[in-house]
Amino acid sequence: MSAPPAVQTSRAPGAAFILKKALISALVALVLFSLMIGVRTDAGPDGQLTYWTRFGDLAAMVATVFGGSIVLELLRQWWGPVGTIRVVPPAVQSTLSLAGRLVAPVLLVFTFLVPVLFYNERYILDLGILVLTYVMLGWGLNVVVGLAGLLDLGYVAFYAVGAYSYALLATNFGLSFWVCLPLAGILAAFWGVLLGFPVLRLRGDYLAIVTLAFGEIIRLVIINWQSLTGGPNGVTGIPRPTLFGIPLTPGDDGLAAMLGIEFSPTHRVVFLFYLILALALLTNWVTIRLRRLPIGRAWEALREDEVACRALGINTTTTKLTAFATGAMFGGFAGAFFATRQGFISPESFTFHESALVLAIVVLGGMGSQLGVALAALAMIGGFELFRGLEQYRMLVFGMAMVLLMIWRPRGLIGHRAPTVFLKTNQAISSDLVKEGHG
Amino acid sequence: MTAPSKTPLLAIRSLRAAYGKIEALKGVDLDINAGEIVALIGANGAGKSTLMMTIFGRPRARSGRIEFDGQDITDVPTHEIARLRIAQSPEGRRIFPRMSVAENLQMGADATDSSEADRASGLERVFALFPRLKERMTQRGGTLSGGEQQMLAIGRALMSRPRLLMLDEPSLGLAPLIARQIFDAIRTLNRQDGLTVLIVEQNANHALKLAHRGYVMVNGLITLSGTGSELLQRPEIRAAYLEGGRRE
Repeated sequence: MSAPPAVQTSRAPGAAFILKKALISALVALVLFSLMIGVRTDAGPDGQLTYWTRFGDLAAMVATVFGGSIVLELLRQWWGPVGTIRVVPPAVQSTLSLAGRLVAPVLLVFTFLVPVLFYNERYILDLGILVLTYVMLGWGLNVVVGLAGLLDLGYVAFYAVGAYSYALLATNFGLSFWVCLPLAGILAAFWGVLLGFPVLRLRGDYLAIVTLAFGEIIRLVIINWQSLTGGPNGVTGIPRPTLFGIPLTPGDDGLAAMLGIEFSPTHRVVFLFYLILALALLTNWVTIRLRRLPIGRAWEALREDEVACRALGINTTTTKLTAFATGAMFGGFAGAFFATRQGFISPESFTFHESALVLAIVVLGGMGSQLGVALAALAMIGGFELFRGLEQYRMLVFGMAMVLLMIWRPRGLIGHRAPTVFLKTNQAISSDLVKEGHG
Repeated sequence: MTAPSKTPLLAIRSLRAAYGKIEALKGVDLDINAGEIVALIGANGAGKSTLMMTIFGRPRARSGRIEFDGQDITDVPTHEIARLRIAQSPEGRRIFPRMSVAENLQMGADATDSSEADRASGLERVFALFPRLKERMTQRGGTLSGGEQQMLAIGRALMSRPRLLMLDEPSLGLAPLIARQIFDAIRTLNRQDGLTVLIVEQNANHALKLAHRGYVMVNGLITLSGTGSELLQRPEIRAAYLEGGRRE
């Protein structure tokens, strides 16, 4: 979706201006980097200070800044001054809006077809499962952060509770996946309420700190409660899921034997793919339904103005707790799935990094937007894999991408909030004009 | 509402409230009878808004008593008070900016268990009162003008079919013409539906002309009370609030 060409203005500054600006930037870079990069110091063999120069690197750095500055300025001119009204031909506009409406169905159909299209490509199937897991986690966290506006930095705790619930129930009591799945959800929701109680009065930064601590507490408990959780060694031998009792194994009672087809390990991968797809779609469906009910409306109102909510007779306590519980429940489902897919879980899988990743997905996707979260999960997780070859740079690339996205789309990929009460006519003023200081 | 009962709908007796050590209400007595408009006027920091908030339980009363329709509500949780169908349009309007006008209005009806029919007729009533809101139904609350937001805040409060409507500075920051529209709407509500209204205002002239009775508040105490026209005639009121006297 390239931006339509801007209306050309005659005010565009000339080449001299651009060069001058680039030179200034290069000069600043030279001063900054001459000590940081140009001179390298180290302790010599006898402890004395040795240093050597790296003028080549310095020159490269300054040249990059110079070139980058020119490119940036050209881009800025091409983009036009802030606030330029770009004239978009109606044909392009309608095509774009049609494309916008088609993204979700096309994506959904494509997702359904992934196991068919890439049946022989195990790597893509595994990646698909991973992406869908994060889509589900993103949708789950979206209830808490996107809808109810409660910044939760410890979401991984519920993921962990779900995973360990299934792992321990299955290995200790031999319960099947389908019995454990709801149990994992209920247990995670219970922990969600437990977290909710102490943080009822907290908001914003303070809430974030406590939820962050909560995530760490759960992880530390898992590491240290060796007798129950196996500590850092984790839980091994977690049973694989069955298709309602039919195992996906090469044995005589396996699904392949029953259907009379040759066994292939891919069957299980495909099954897992559709399983997580179903779970993710369930999350999505429940969220969309809830948004149209008073409880969902109350979550969103809570995000907007807690005092006004109370004045309207909304019990903010129960509203917050249900948001925490609902979000946690979906995290628990995803955790149970994670455990059955991996067959092995350890505390290492539930670090703060995961919480941050899921939160990044929600924020980048546009808080409250279901499609945005799915796209962001695809971009983040898929992108991570794409840049696997550039191992050491990928965090850099993603940091850059995030910064740029937040500059240009401060509300995420899809910052548009779909209304839940509909009329025949469209609204006159777009949501993009609200809140970022425009209106 | 129609029965001429002697007990007031809202009765406040020697109410005290404080923010930390700063006492904002120092023993307030106030009555609101069913079907009347009562104006509460006073300068900045007199405690008008605090009184309204204390009726809602935030801050809690230190001592004294608040009775609504014979029921003691001094210690009832805020959301429960709202469910008794006391509605308020708070200071600064506090609409939900990212939610549409229609959703904002629905929020008003969500907590008081109202049927679909009640909701629909409530919407009709609000739209009849403020046709502008109907035009802007799918628009986000945050994109409305100040006057429209005030209409929305009042409309949202009306959606719970309140028995007592409390308005905190409804004319704040509005153009005089829009402010007049808002006051007209309040008068209409009172005449047609017999709605009981407590209105807190700085604009004493407007408020006292609108109200049946008025209270004047100074430094956390009620210093004067009387009918609206009586108060308008009082020289001290005229000096303090109407004729450009000191507003301290």
